[in-house]
Amino acid sequence: MADDDYNDMDMGYEDEPPEPEIEEGAEVEEENNDDVPDDIIGAENEEKEQEPVEHPRKTSKYMTKYERARILGTRALQISMNAPVMVELEGETDPLEIAMKELRERKIPFTIRRYLPDGSYEDWGVDELIVEDSWKRQVGGD
Amino acid sequence: MNQGAEKLRCTKEPYIEVNGHQRIESIRFSVHSGDDIRKQAEVQVWKNVIYDVNIKPAPDGLLDLRMGPPNRNFTCATCHGNFTECPGHFGWLKLTLPVFNVGYFNSILNILKCICKACGRILLLESERRIFLKTMRKPRADPTQKDHLLKKIRQKCGSECLHCGYKNGVVKKLGSSLTIVEDFTRKIDGSMHEFRSALSHLKDGASFQLIHVLRPLKVLALFKRMLDQDCELLNLNDRPEKLIITDIAVPPSPIRPSVIMDAGMSMENDITIILKGIVNTNSILREDLEGAAPLFKCLECWDLLQVQVAEYINSEAPCVPDNKNRGLIQRLKGKQGRFRGNLSGKRVEFTGRTVISPDPNLKITEVAIPTVMAQILTYPERVYRHNIEKLRQCVRNGRFKYPGANFAVLSSGSTMDLKFEGRKNVANDLKYGDIVQRHLEDGDVVLFNRQPSLHRMSLMCHRARIMPWKTLRFNESVCNPYNADFDGDEMNLHVPQTEEARTEALTLMGVQNNLCTPKNGEILVASTQDFLTSSFLITRKDAFYDRASFALLCSYMGDGMESIDLPAPALIKPVELWTGKQLFNVLVRPNASTRVFLNLTVKEKCFSKPQNLSETMCPRDGFVYFRNSELICGQLGKATLGNGSKDGLFSVLLRDYNAYAAASCMGRLAKLSARWIGNHGFSIGIDDVQPGERLIQQNKRTIDDGNRECLDFIAKYNKGELTLETGCDAAQTLELKIHDVLNKIRSAAGNVCMNELHWRNSPLIMSQCGSKGSPINISQMIALVGQQSVGGRRAPNGFIDRALPHFPINSKTPSAKGFVANSFYTGLTATEFFFHTMAGREGLVDTAVKTAETGYMSRRLVKGMEDISLHYDLTVRDASGAIAQFLYGDDGLDPAKMEGKEGSPLNFDQLYMKVMATCPHRENDSLSPAEILQTLDKRFSRCDMAPEGGCSSEFKQKLSDFIQKRIVTLQQTRQALQLDENPAINKGCCKRETISTRISGISAKQLEVFLETCISRYYLKKLEAGAAIGVIGAQSIGEPGTQMTLKTFHFAGVASMNITLGVPRIKEIINAAKNISTPVIKTQLLSSSEALSARIVKGCLEKTTLGEVSKCIKIVLKPSQTYISVVLDMERIESLQMRISSESVRFAILNHPRIGLKPEHVITMSSHKLKISMPLVHKDQLFPLHSMNTLLPKVIVKGISTVKRAVIKKDKELYSLFVEGTNYLAVMGTPGVDASKTTTNHVIEVCQTLGIEAARQTIINEIKFTMDGHGMSIDIRHMKLLADLMTYKGEVLGMTRFGLTKMKNSVLMLASFEKTSEHLFNGAYSGRDDHIEGVSERIIMGIPMQLGTGILKVRQRVQDLTELKYGPDPIIS
Repeated sequence: MADDDYNDMDMGYEDEPPEPEIEEGAEVEEENNDDVPDDIIGAENEEKEQEPVEHPRKTSKYMTKYERARILGTRALQISMNAPVMVELEGETDPLEIAMKELRERKIPFTIRRYLPDGSYEDWGVDELIVEDSWKRQVGGD
Repeated sequence: MNQGAEKLRCTKEPYIEVNGHQRIESIRFSVHSGDDIRKQAEVQVWKNVIYDVNIKPAPDGLLDLRMGPPNRNFTCATCHGNFTECPGHFGWLKLTLPVFNVGYFNSILNILKCICKACGRILLLESERRIFLKTMRKPRADPTQKDHLLKKIRQKCGSECLHCGYKNGVVKKLGSSLTIVEDFTRKIDGSMHEFRSALSHLKDGASFQLIHVLRPLKVLALFKRMLDQDCELLNLNDRPEKLIITDIAVPPSPIRPSVIMDAGMSMENDITIILKGIVNTNSILREDLEGAAPLFKCLECWDLLQVQVAEYINSEAPCVPDNKNRGLIQRLKGKQGRFRGNLSGKRVEFTGRTVISPDPNLKITEVAIPTVMAQILTYPERVYRHNIEKLRQCVRNGRFKYPGANFAVLSSGSTMDLKFEGRKNVANDLKYGDIVQRHLEDGDVVLFNRQPSLHRMSLMCHRARIMPWKTLRFNESVCNPYNADFDGDEMNLHVPQTEEARTEALTLMGVQNNLCTPKNGEILVASTQDFLTSSFLITRKDAFYDRASFALLCSYMGDGMESIDLPAPALIKPVELWTGKQLFNVLVRPNASTRVFLNLTVKEKCFSKPQNLSETMCPRDGFVYFRNSELICGQLGKATLGNGSKDGLFSVLLRDYNAYAAASCMGRLAKLSARWIGNHGFSIGIDDVQPGERLIQQNKRTIDDGNRECLDFIAKYNKGELTLETGCDAAQTLELKIHDVLNKIRSAAGNVCMNELHWRNSPLIMSQCGSKGSPINISQMIALVGQQSVGGRRAPNGFIDRALPHFPINSKTPSAKGFVANSFYTGLTATEFFFHTMAGREGLVDTAVKTAETGYMSRRLVKGMEDISLHYDLTVRDASGAIAQFLYGDDGLDPAKMEGKEGSPLNFDQLYMKVMATCPHRENDSLSPAEILQTLDKRFSRCDMAPEGGCSSEFKQKLSDFIQKRIVTLQQTRQALQLDENPAINKGCCKRETISTRISGISAKQLEVFLETCISRYYLKKLEAGAAIGVIGAQSIGEPGTQMTLKTFHFAGVASMNITLGVPRIKEIINAAKNISTPVIKTQLLSSSEALSARIVKGCLEKTTLGEVSKCIKIVLKPSQTYISVVLDMERIESLQMRISSESVRFAILNHPRIGLKPEHVITMSSHKLKISMPLVHKDQLFPLHSMNTLLPKVIVKGISTVKRAVIKKDKELYSLFVEGTNYLAVMGTPGVDASKTTTNHVIEVCQTLGIEAARQTIINEIKFTMDGHGMSIDIRHMKLLADLMTYKGEVLGMTRFGLTKMKNSVLMLASFEKTSEHLFNGAYSGRDDHIEGVSERIIMGIPMQLGTGILKVRQRVQDLTELKYGPDPIIS
């Protein structure tokens, strides 16, 4: 996705406070969002190009906090039971922290099955979903 | 109940999802038949001795060991398990004669009413039977419809059987006993006379009985003869004979344990005692029957058996004489019963509870846990590469040394207690995969809770900090969500035991993620009390610090770990000085690498707009302005730092940056304030409440003035010269006026205090910054306590015509009615003190009553809304998939994330300011109005701004309105600077051009950034699928209920017109009450500017009786005729514009339901005279005439009978009417009333008159009005959801047990709410199938519910599995 103009805009004011961030983090998603047409429901034209699925998926492409919690929990449990870690570790030992890092780098090998009320479901890969940046720093003490 | 799974294991192990097929999907309720009982039983019980001679359970007795061990001393004879292992086995007991089951007694009665008592066929015509059967068989009919149909069938059933011709009597219950009789006495039929006469020749004709007793044996035979089709017609799922007890299932001994006392005595369980009685009676009955005892003795014995069996099932049934034993139903029922006490809520391990105390040095996300507690609470940590050394050390330390462990569960399966020696070996042998139950350590995830848990912020997740001493400690900023203080409160702590539980707790329940309340989006975790005081004092205009003290203060903020960039001093010469405001710059942005740019403006409490100056020049420094994290002006107080605001510092930090920014800033402020105020000192003494000379004088003057004014009013009242207020009589007017004056005295005194007190006065400072106390509190201490009110009025008369015997009778002076002119400092006189206690007592009683009431209300709300959640298609549905809303709150936004007023998603002003400050103009041109609009249109045309893209039109409209407003200001600025509409093409030439740009111009980049920020942020505010929005809504409405004060009544614009407010009103709305205490209809008039038309309409509405408008009603007795003559008081009628003529009176009399005269009897003599004669049916004319004479004055000649009164309200020359009373339809139909603008507060009536949609809107409006009346803001979305839920079935259903039964289908859910046994028995009768999908049912069954994290399934990627080289199988399929 082209996020040029947003970056441009920041560059225009180098010595002034840019779109501020609280801490330096690898946060690109936030910028990504702005240029992507933020369709919550039914954006067939866009979605079809991206994923070759038979039925256009209708649900939001943002990961909900419940999905995030569930994935992190499941992954943390796996890691605590000695599952192979999919990212380079930099001294983290807490399974939850490792899981969060994996999620940040989109390396969690899960698919989310979202059930619609009619009983049908949509499968979304964890790496396909957009994770909110405001949730990134949650490990408490930072 | 037969369960889907083979065997339920009751464990304390955490839930682990097993492969699908073993899950309980549904439960079918059915009737337990004798055959089933016999099949399940291990042993037949028949002996009436419990123990044999050796004090061992007797075989075939009630505690036969084959039914399981009755206590720890025995083992089971069936499965050989001990007391803890053996689940128990059933026994059975054969009853000699069948008896009724109390639970099904009403069902049995109802069936008997419908069938022939001779042949057992249904008493319906064949055609009717077919039709009913067809409707009953409809597969999609829900239980409520079936119940309704059943009632109809029962009414249709005749008395004569069409198959055998038997004439049935009336079936009824005999008194409170469990006897059903067939009564023939009411038969108006020739047959009985015939029968009587046929029997009359016999001498003892009296023995002929009209009332036949239907004994269980006969009923059983009848039921056995019933056709299957008839059973189906009666909504019976099973054969009806099962409703009658022939065998009793003797419950397993472990569920009725017997306690061995010393000296060979034993205490038996209630159930055992009852059963023993049954066994006894049963055997006596058998002996009697076999041994040919007299009939009456057998019957007596049978009745006794019936009562005992009834007691066994329901010991509180009316037929049971003494209910000292607890029956089966009593075990299930009530708060401590099985459903609410053991199934819906369970006792848990790994919890702690102790006293709480404050610690500002902790982070807001932390809780300090005492070491002793940390040594008991453990977390099972699995050994793996990175933690093996740490855990080895823990194991070595063992149980009694702090960072230790209590148990080690080895992978071999054995559990090692680390209390004993040999720990070292265990530690050395520790392998990957072992589990160590280690003590709690710093950084562990714990849940922290304080009761009452009224909303979800009452249970939040903290990080543990293990500290010495014995209390739980946390940052005071977190007091608010828990509603905790430190006067001895205790709080609870829970330790999640699995990695999944910790993660979910941390990410969903963490303090950081719950800074805002979903009630209305206000910030809840915020600075309180002392923190506000010290911030207020630090940011004083005269607070200056030199380098040493400023640096010291800066270092107070952190743990000494953060780097701090010292700002440039505000003063350089003669010494470098920093202001206190600069300290807040550091606080918000400690160093340059923290990229927080805070921009906000807040008006503090003391803000007053200076004349002709900018707001920032407020003389009291009440305008807080942060620009790019610099505090430009303003003294910080509660509005900026405290809770309950949407545009305070922390809210803005949270929205513009993230929770971590807000939380860390809060932590810094807590540390700074606590340390600063410790050095500065802040206390209160007696001199703080000593009034000065001037204050005393001013005070005396206000009190004297007020007193004089009141006395004037009283004098006027006594003379009768008082000008009346609309709709009030003289006494009411006087009360109103005096009340006004006295209230004014108190507020005036308060103002005097606030103005006169020294600026250093501690109470004054506290009230100014909002940390504690209000001006009223100060004036009560210093000036006067003021009027004491009881029930919203002045003190009532406790003695004859006076409040206290110290005052003259009928005295209405301020002091006689509870005005306290003294202050707490000067001391109250005896009478004043008494009045003060009266008001105080009322407050106490009120809180005591209200807590119980609101608690029950909350429970009902939550039970009704617990399973409502948002699904992935953005519809709001209940667990069974029924739609409550198509889009939550009409825009799908999360109430917790709302920034603007009234639940609007964004605060454009603040955002615009931020954009302007963070990316300034520079050399860019400002856009012309036309260009701005063009950019806006271009952006709006993109697909994410379209309604189908998920953007509400309301948001779009608001955004464009805001831009329009900006354009208008731009145009105004340009006009003021005498520039033309559009900016000049050759820019830079004109100074004024630049000025206008600086003032209100906007560049293309700025506009783009602003629009993009607004829109992207709007999308982030969408509610996420899975949110349990029902419970959130219920809590958001229930929680404020507890805070509602005793203000029960309120003026609806017109004095004297009271409407109920507060908890009683909320209760009325939520219960969907048929009769509300103050129904008020608000009307608009068609010609609203004319006073005359208002009065005419008022005349039409108000109830006017004949007695009120007639001069005389008298009986005229003449020889020729007798009649009543009515003469109308035409003068009066004219003056009130009532338009009553004799013709209309005649019409009214003829239409009166109780008079019943024919048109020829009422004759109009002239326009104001009537003659009423009596019909000549009676010989005696006088008595009917007299009764008519008393009846006539009550005839309503004009107006609506249900309307109590109507009051005209004049508002800016426009008249409207308030009608007290009901009958909305009639009011709307009254000529002169604008029906389309007429509203009422009576929900049910709106539903009847206008329909269900109008009722929904009324519910929303009324809840909102009531909440607003108490100054509580609740997001409209919650009320919409509640209203939708109350109306989505097509009728207004209250959140009561009656409404909920119609709303929900699940038997288990209803049984866990109220009327447990009824729902269970009815469910079994009609064979209800319960899908385990709702929240209550799933909790009872121990399955995760389909909300929140349970709405989705996580699947392991298959292709990635190949990457796994080792390791266990994935847990989640």
